[in-house]
Amino acid sequence: MLQCLTLVTHNTASPNLVKLIPLVSIMLLMLSAFIMPLLKKKRHLFGLTGGALAILMVLSFVNVAYIYQNGGYYFDIGHFPAPFGISLRIGEIESLIALLFAIVDLMVTWYAYYSLEKEIKESRIAFFHTMNLLLLASLLGIVFTNDVFNGFVFLEVSTLAACGIIVVKDKKTNIKAGLKYLILSSLGSGLVLMGIAFIYSLSGHLSMDYIHEAMIANLDGKQNTILISVILFTVGLGIKGAMFPLHIWLPDAHASAPSPSSAILSALVIKAPVIFLIKVFYKVYGTQIIHETVILDLVLLFGVMGMIFGSLFARSQKELKRMIAYSSVAQMGYIFFAIGIGNTLGVVMAIYHIVAHALTKSSLFLAAGSFIEQTGFKHIEDFRGIGKEMPVTLGIFTVSGLSMIGIPVLPGFISKWNLAMASIQSDKLYLLIFLLISSLLNASYYFPIIINGYFGEENLDGKVFLSKSKPIKQLLPLIILTVLMVLVGFFSGSLIEFIERGVYTV
Amino acid sequence: MKSSIAKHVSGLLLPFVQVFGIYVILFGHLSPGGGFAGGSILGASMILYRFVYGAEASDRKFKYHYMLKIACTALIFYGLIKGYVFVGAFLGWHNPVGTGTVGSLFSGGFIMPLNVLVGAVVAITFYFIATLFEEGDFGNADPHQ
Repeated sequence: MLQCLTLVTHNTASPNLVKLIPLVSIMLLMLSAFIMPLLKKKRHLFGLTGGALAILMVLSFVNVAYIYQNGGYYFDIGHFPAPFGISLRIGEIESLIALLFAIVDLMVTWYAYYSLEKEIKESRIAFFHTMNLLLLASLLGIVFTNDVFNGFVFLEVSTLAACGIIVVKDKKTNIKAGLKYLILSSLGSGLVLMGIAFIYSLSGHLSMDYIHEAMIANLDGKQNTILISVILFTVGLGIKGAMFPLHIWLPDAHASAPSPSSAILSALVIKAPVIFLIKVFYKVYGTQIIHETVILDLVLLFGVMGMIFGSLFARSQKELKRMIAYSSVAQMGYIFFAIGIGNTLGVVMAIYHIVAHALTKSSLFLAAGSFIEQTGFKHIEDFRGIGKEMPVTLGIFTVSGLSMIGIPVLPGFISKWNLAMASIQSDKLYLLIFLLISSLLNASYYFPIIINGYFGEENLDGKVFLSKSKPIKQLLPLIILTVLMVLVGFFSGSLIEFIERGVYTV
Repeated sequence: MKSSIAKHVSGLLLPFVQVFGIYVILFGHLSPGGGFAGGSILGASMILYRFVYGAEASDRKFKYHYMLKIACTALIFYGLIKGYVFVGAFLGWHNPVGTGTVGSLFSGGFIMPLNVLVGAVVAITFYFIATLFEEGDFGNADPHQ
């Protein structure tokens, strides 16, 4: 009897516990978020956030390792299975993105421990942490969920929490940027909700797999409704993911927020809706339906426009953080470009570029934040000769900038190379020209900062070596992010293979 | 609003409003209503008190840091109970409360405790939002903060 019992518990417990990880990670973040307002001391706040994020990172790593061996799985929440209740689908892509989010957020929190109170009031630190953890929980929810309406709810939560980390600075520009983001994002989620209403009326389901089955079953005569709903999804999620003509909220929000918030916004917040968009395209509609509509060409067009115009706008900026923010628009352009190519390699490279860009852009924003914090300047002009005063930080900035430009081995090059391959595969050779132009434009605004920072007689005149450098423990999160970024470039082969196993297309 | 008529009338009215709010919360699993509806009635009664008796009297009665603690604790307990249900559904644990007899107050498993927690959070959030529109910030309202 006892033996039988242990056998049963052993059989049910050991494989199942890993499947609890997605639910537990969302719950852990939400619970820690609401312990924050009860804490007073800065050490306790950061200790709890850091602890929760470290646990999250370990759990996500275990999850990735499990999925690497056993493949993806479904998890039904509550007592009701899929068509009625909510289910989560965690495959290779979702687990990888969760691990990425956990690592980036942990590093940003580590950086924020030393610099956050210089940018925001001390009484707002608890609020920042509450919003940060809620935001991460909602982003993980968007990534994990297999239910479109649940995705919408998490999108709304992420909008409000992202507004929270923008307005935490209490300046006029922040409140203006926060309101702009709130209005545009609410518009975006409203469009997503309308899209959900359309596909619900077509299929009678909210769970992605069931919608897909129902849509395939009664396809004829519904082409227009499908087109309308897919456009609603694309525009709604495009606003949140900063697709080019809809990006107008991004530069204000990212440039005015405190640097840790900018890093989180740029690395995580605009990525989760893109994952959701890919899921909507390939899990809800499916490859066959999506290729019959014009939507992928539209996404490709907007992606190309984002790549070119984002870089052009970035070139004309005077402020460092605004320039990096516009560079985010350009890099999101690459991701939409990759989705728009429409073959498997394109989608794989979209995911790979999400990983690469999250690591690169968070370290760029944190490096820029260090420059601004140590010198007090904001404009690119004033950072001449910064390489002598802060050599390590500018070194990190340089490596990240080189990755953005696309120097071999670094992840930016890998994605550009594979994007070129994907364009050739789908017989769209003219796209290579846009890739080249965009890379040259990237170089044209990252190189001047790096060159003026390190070289030039008059630039270095009167600067004292290492005079403004931060201590090593404050630079460590930046260094870790940069090392991880280089590793993502080095081991791109196995990473791309891992993503390819979980990609939704056929 | 310093009218003595309003003070007398709301002094008579408030206990009934609050009892009704608590009733709606507690019987949410048996009749129309529930945590959100009852909580908003409770919150409305607190806002009425603030508008009629003034901000100072209201701040003395509903202290900001206590309210914040109650709301956060309620949210944490909500998360723990709901998490227990979700995790328990996956691992096949039994509901320790049981369903009870249908129609009695103590039935419906976790629904009533969850309604109470939601009611507390909603009432306090409504009151905070009203305070926020009046004062512009919570910080002014509380000397301890």
